[in-house]
Amino acid sequence: MTIDFIINQFTEIIGNFPVAAFLVACASVGGLLFVLMALNAMVAVYVERKVSAFMMDRLGPMGQGPGLHAGKWGILQTFADAIKLLIKEDTIPKSADQILFKVAPFIIFIGAIIGLSALPFSSSIQAVDLNVGVFYIIAVGSIGVIGIVMAGWASNNKWSLYGAMRSAAQIISYEIPAGLSIIVPIMMSGTMNLQNLIEYQSGSIFGIFPNWIMFQNPFAFLAFFIFFISAVAETNRTPFDIPEAESELVAGWMTEYSGFRWAVFFLSEYANMFVVSGLAVAGFMGGWLSPIPGFLNSPVLGLFWFFGKVSFLIFVMMWFRWTFPRLRVDQLMYVCWKVFIPIAMLNIFGVGIWKLIFG
Amino acid sequence: MSKYFTNIYDTVNTLWTGMRITFRHMMNIKKDNVTLQYPEERWPRPERDIGFELEDYNVIRTRLHVDIDDCIGCFRCEKACPVDCIKIDTIKAGRGEDIPEVAHTGETSNGTKKGFVVSRFTIDMSECCYCNLCTYPCPEECIFMVGGPHSSKHPIDYEFSEVDRNDLIYQFAKKLTPKQRNDLQQPKEKAKA
Amino acid sequence: MGVIQGDQMVLNIGPQHPSTHGVLRLEVMTDGEIVSKITPHLGYLHRCFEKHSENVTYEQVIPYTDRCDYLASMNSNFGYVVAMEELMDIKVCERVEYVRVIMAELNRIASHLLGVGAYGLDVGAFTPFVHMLRDRERILDIFEYTCGARLLYNYMWVGGVSHDLPKDFKKICFKFLDYFEPKIDEYNQLLTYNKIFVERTADVGVLPADVAISYGVSGTNLRASGVKWDVRKEEPYSIYDRFNFDIPIGEAKFGTLGDCFDRYWVRILEMKESIKIVRQALKEIPEGDIFETMPKKIRPPKGSIYRRTESPRGDLGYYIESDGSPVPTRVKMRSPAFTALSCLDEISQGWMMSDVLCILGSLDIVLGEIDR
Repeated sequence: MTIDFIINQFTEIIGNFPVAAFLVACASVGGLLFVLMALNAMVAVYVERKVSAFMMDRLGPMGQGPGLHAGKWGILQTFADAIKLLIKEDTIPKSADQILFKVAPFIIFIGAIIGLSALPFSSSIQAVDLNVGVFYIIAVGSIGVIGIVMAGWASNNKWSLYGAMRSAAQIISYEIPAGLSIIVPIMMSGTMNLQNLIEYQSGSIFGIFPNWIMFQNPFAFLAFFIFFISAVAETNRTPFDIPEAESELVAGWMTEYSGFRWAVFFLSEYANMFVVSGLAVAGFMGGWLSPIPGFLNSPVLGLFWFFGKVSFLIFVMMWFRWTFPRLRVDQLMYVCWKVFIPIAMLNIFGVGIWKLIFG
Repeated sequence: MSKYFTNIYDTVNTLWTGMRITFRHMMNIKKDNVTLQYPEERWPRPERDIGFELEDYNVIRTRLHVDIDDCIGCFRCEKACPVDCIKIDTIKAGRGEDIPEVAHTGETSNGTKKGFVVSRFTIDMSECCYCNLCTYPCPEECIFMVGGPHSSKHPIDYEFSEVDRNDLIYQFAKKLTPKQRNDLQQPKEKAKA
Repeated sequence: MGVIQGDQMVLNIGPQHPSTHGVLRLEVMTDGEIVSKITPHLGYLHRCFEKHSENVTYEQVIPYTDRCDYLASMNSNFGYVVAMEELMDIKVCERVEYVRVIMAELNRIASHLLGVGAYGLDVGAFTPFVHMLRDRERILDIFEYTCGARLLYNYMWVGGVSHDLPKDFKKICFKFLDYFEPKIDEYNQLLTYNKIFVERTADVGVLPADVAISYGVSGTNLRASGVKWDVRKEEPYSIYDRFNFDIPIGEAKFGTLGDCFDRYWVRILEMKESIKIVRQALKEIPEGDIFETMPKKIRPPKGSIYRRTESPRGDLGYYIESDGSPVPTRVKMRSPAFTALSCLDEISQGWMMSDVLCILGSLDIVLGEIDR
């Protein structure tokens, strides 16, 4: 919607130049999305370090004393880390595949940022209002695998190759339960358009509970959990972080990357977390609707509700990371193929029967 | 078949218990925090009640210090060191005699009469293994680790890192010029002659 | 037609790795994931302990023994001192015996905390590691109060100990024990019964009892395979025969007997037993002068002795040979972690790469002791 809006304004104010209008709209919205991605990474990294520290009975980054060397309570820590990463020396191993090595981070980055373009931030703020929004986000999420395998191969390092192979297997496998679970909201609301999906969830059950999809149906509740856990597996976070397992593979497929290239990987990991949380919120938790049905709904407040719910899900992802040990590769595959997929299929069947009986 | 379902139930149960524990730790951070924010807060910890004071310690392991005016040159600490980081040189002098030119007092603070002038007393702190074996044999208690029970003689000092390695070789003896060293060895030859 | 066999490749888990407990190089022959042979390469941490001890006097050897097994220095000192006292026929006074037992058992708890925490870290659980280190810091604070040092103490001397217990020691020690005992239950809830952890460690790296005995494995690793053997009960030294404690053995709680989970579980149970011993010792400790049985000069008679004691890693043995002079002729330390590492190849046949690191972590080795 926002791109259409900007194109219209451009045509009204300046004149009928369709190509120029398109380019200006895309560039500005793309720039805004990039800024959102960068801000998200900064805030998310700081929150992750603080949350992990508090769970471990320590304080995390704290800046104090003369000169406030990292901002009060360490707020500027991520900013300082970003500057450090930008001025680091760019080392590429001589026996690495030069072209693939340089291109790999950007493919992952592209996969993450174009997923952001279909998320409904509010009833009137969305980069593009696609008619197949859900399908588009799921499809675009697989682009990252190519980048990971390229990175692992191009590093010319046995450990990186290990990590890349495991990651490819993991991401491709976990797309299936994620896709099957996201079918449940589509079945219940009858549309793949994200804005319509959210509008379907307005109203209330019994007058007090919000009419979110995850509350309408016990099978939908189960589908939300399956989707969320598969999403955690897709973003390579613990307990599924075998590809970048720190204590086994040093840093997995990212071992040879340093400086700015590593910063791009990092940025895309947090952007991926944002995208899958955004899809879970839009599909199951009511998107930009407020939790009190009927009140406090407006285009501006909708932005606030959306970001609040997404932040809560990102916090839960961090909570998982610092509590659980990691699964072994074959156990990961067992969980996906033998536990999640049967439950996801059962969900689809159950939701169909429910809708038939209860309408 | 039933094992499949008990597995799933066990998993969800135990994972949820674990998550509750970390959440509780996160919420109680103000009470449970164990970080000492150096350099604003220095050890010993000001507020955490560990129940004992620095001065009540039996012994403390920090850098070594020698009160050179009390040293009688008996070489016991040099022999006791397992890594040979103490090096001492002495020149024979009259028993109990004060030699003001090199600021040498004839008696220690405990009343023992000295028979040697200590011309070199170096401790290489980069080799020291902080085992404390050199402090026990000293009859005058002039070599000790600073702080703790010896805070009255020398306050605690644990921030003694240096930039250059040679700065870690501590010299405790008074500096003697070659002429002074010669003069001190002279009386022996005069007595012989 | 036959099984498809991939090519074997040699993978180097190098000397620098976040997960080897020290500097250890493992040369692993694998076909991608399944391991077929492991060759450990040692010697990166060799510091000539046994050669040094031929050139320094008997009391100067004690700081060197500290540095071999640096996580359990009190127990390394204890082993040497017990061997020397048997060689010289010295009987120390009662207070010294009790002080030594208290210190050795507290150090056993500290060493097991680090071993178990680092094992959790290898498996991917970051938070229990930090919690266990936090509790270990309290034990190190107690040691600092007594002898000034936090890791390498030089505390147990031939014929006594270097410093007497400070005046508030009983109160502080009881406070710590009361704080620590419920923490073990918290660790159990957070890590031990966690289904992911159980799946990772149960049935993995099974060490059968006969294989363990044939390799010479001792200590926790042997007890986890079901053999009830503890040097403190079989050949009691010091005053261990006066205390009332059990020997926990592996009980195949979630898998087969002798797997990684059993080794981990036995360490947790041993911490509880050590707490029992410390409580009993603190109640019964008599007053006395710790310096009354300390010899002025250490000149053992001509002869040799081999004596073993129970360190947290296993069966720690010292062979000391003397010819009457103040400098020993030969000191040899028999390291229990060395034998534990030697059975790594046998028990990790057929497991995956992630499991190899899991098994290595469960053996709880310390490279300082292996390489001396």
